[in-house]
Amino acid sequence: MSRPMHRSRPTALARSAWRRWFLDRTAEFWLGELRATWSLTEQRARVTGVRSETVDAKTFTITTPRAWPGHVAGQYVPVEVEIEGVRVRRCYSISSGGSEPGRQSIEITVKSVPGGRVSTWMHAHLAVGAVVRLGAPSGEFTVTAPAKLLLIGAGSGITPVAAIVRDLVARGAAHDVIVVEAARSDADAIFAGELAALATLRSIAHPGSPALHHAVQVIAHRGPLDAAALRAYAPDLATREVYVCGPAPVMDLVAALVGPRVHLERFAPAAPARNPGAATRARVHLAVANRTVEITRGTLLEGLERAGERPAHGCRMGICNSCRCTKTSGTVEDLVTGTISSEPDQEIRLCVSAAHSDLELSL
Amino acid sequence: MRNLDDATVTAFGAELDALRAETIASLGAADVDHIRKMIRLVRYSEAGGRALLHLGIGPLTFALGVSALAAAKILENMEVGHNVMHGQYDWTRAADLDGRSYEWDIVCTGDDWRHSHNFEHHTYTNILGVDRDIGYGLVRISELQPWEPAHLVQPISAVVLALLFQWGVALHDLRITETIAGRQSVAKLRERARPFLKKAAWQLAKDYVVTPALALWNAPRVFAGNFLANGIRNVWSFAIIFCGHFPEGVVIYRAEDVETESRGRWYQRQLAGSANIEGGRLMHVMSGHLSHQIEHHLFPDLPAARYPELAPKVRAICEKYGQPYLTGSFRAQLGSVAKQILRRALP
Repeated sequence: MSRPMHRSRPTALARSAWRRWFLDRTAEFWLGELRATWSLTEQRARVTGVRSETVDAKTFTITTPRAWPGHVAGQYVPVEVEIEGVRVRRCYSISSGGSEPGRQSIEITVKSVPGGRVSTWMHAHLAVGAVVRLGAPSGEFTVTAPAKLLLIGAGSGITPVAAIVRDLVARGAAHDVIVVEAARSDADAIFAGELAALATLRSIAHPGSPALHHAVQVIAHRGPLDAAALRAYAPDLATREVYVCGPAPVMDLVAALVGPRVHLERFAPAAPARNPGAATRARVHLAVANRTVEITRGTLLEGLERAGERPAHGCRMGICNSCRCTKTSGTVEDLVTGTISSEPDQEIRLCVSAAHSDLELSL
Repeated sequence: MRNLDDATVTAFGAELDALRAETIASLGAADVDHIRKMIRLVRYSEAGGRALLHLGIGPLTFALGVSALAAAKILENMEVGHNVMHGQYDWTRAADLDGRSYEWDIVCTGDDWRHSHNFEHHTYTNILGVDRDIGYGLVRISELQPWEPAHLVQPISAVVLALLFQWGVALHDLRITETIAGRQSVAKLRERARPFLKKAAWQLAKDYVVTPALALWNAPRVFAGNFLANGIRNVWSFAIIFCGHFPEGVVIYRAEDVETESRGRWYQRQLAGSANIEGGRLMHVMSGHLSHQIEHHLFPDLPAARYPELAPKVRAICEKYGQPYLTGSFRAQLGSVAKQILRRALP
């Protein structure tokens, strides 16, 4: 599963000219020539395995570089690939359990979303031996305290849930865990067999454990989830910490049912381009300055200036590139080409872009 | 040149905009492959040149080493650095092709260049008093520039500028003459000079201290090789840049002529203010595709390697609207520039 990216790239501009010339380019080039995964500036990782989980879901095994900081089960990692010459990043939940720092094997499981640029490309082209770039793993969808757990993964939302289950089992920390693995049909269910095997394994490992009562109980649910089904699966719902990842309706349902004890992992495939017409008012969040301003009509540059911001700029006509910045989310129109784009992490020029929605900029 | 009314200029601009949009829509892996191939060529040519200079014996390996190093510097400055810094590859979002952080192997800092060249020169191309690239404040190339007695020696100063072109470009950005004329404060000059001095120091250290020292007994040979390679790059880039804007027939503008300028009129000025050099693929690549100065000035942020395929389309649009399209062989354009420099030395 993927989730929208919110990153603030440490700015390369703050580094000295010497560093940019020597370390960032010269040294980086020769390291890359020696070995494709060697780098001082980014985490380049090799794909070491690809396997199909279902008709439209594949798991990619990735060997992390030495600079890998390690991660906690349930977290996601930004993955950058080059598609038609363009570097594109998406965040994917790591479906394998937690990892230590350094060279590790991690797995991401990607469902091919029709129209999804990155997921369809990965399914078609990402093969063993390819090099991808990884960002820093992050995310709060992690189990911190031992407690009675209800883990719900719906559709491709099963990926961080599977990671947590694998991790708990591997660490022998699964004491009373109910896993609801929900999918449209058996053919769509990712990890169904593996999760079922984990449940069985635990019941064998603890033959004397009291009734209820596998330490890990896995329930395969097919079709839409509803409150009645959840209450039947976990009658002691009120006493459990609940983790849920899946489509928005499922998460809304569980959140309404459980209240504050719910942990949610929201995800959305990249928003499709839409054409809502230029916004007359838009809220622009400036990520670096950590300010939100409201802008009205005209170009982003004019709007920001009217709002009292002073972004760097030059020609004000889309030539000199001085006002370029990264739009991390939202929809903008390129006023020169008329192209409307909702692509996350897109480089735009403020002087020839207009807002079509609320935006987040790396300014 | 046919005078165009506002509506016609708008249509002219729209045709060029459409050409730009069409090219942007077709950008892809081939463009990235090209620039990465160029970067690889630069790196291996530099490494090869240095190996020949450091380890070689005799004049032949010296000449080969100097040629390889000069070719690397020319390619790095012109085909890679200049084009990447224009943001021509920003759409790739690759860190090493990022226009705003690129730093090149020349004494002029990338940041100074981005301001003086990308913004001032490309926005105000050939406008007297605003585009400081007209004759680099040293050479009079148009009768619109007021004559001064100092211009009498410009045939000599042009040769000196060519030989020391990287220093000319870097010092030009500091606006020393403006400070002398009282239009820039000394404090501002000092502020501008700081990054330049820092970069000049490490460039000099790299070319004339560190790399010669690494060559041990071959130090004088490496010193001389670096000096020659820098010089060859200087003369070549001077020639290409002067041929791009100063042959006879290129139009120089007054600020008042362009006060309220539409996008179409801007295109028209870029066209009239630039000249192409005809040649093969080698000429285009070694000039960083500035042999297509016209296409570069119309579309400074499109990958330069696309200019050759755009050129016939641009030319057809120019013909349709009766606009001039100055082009000629390298020899003809260089001769024309030389003639201008000599003629304008006199009042």
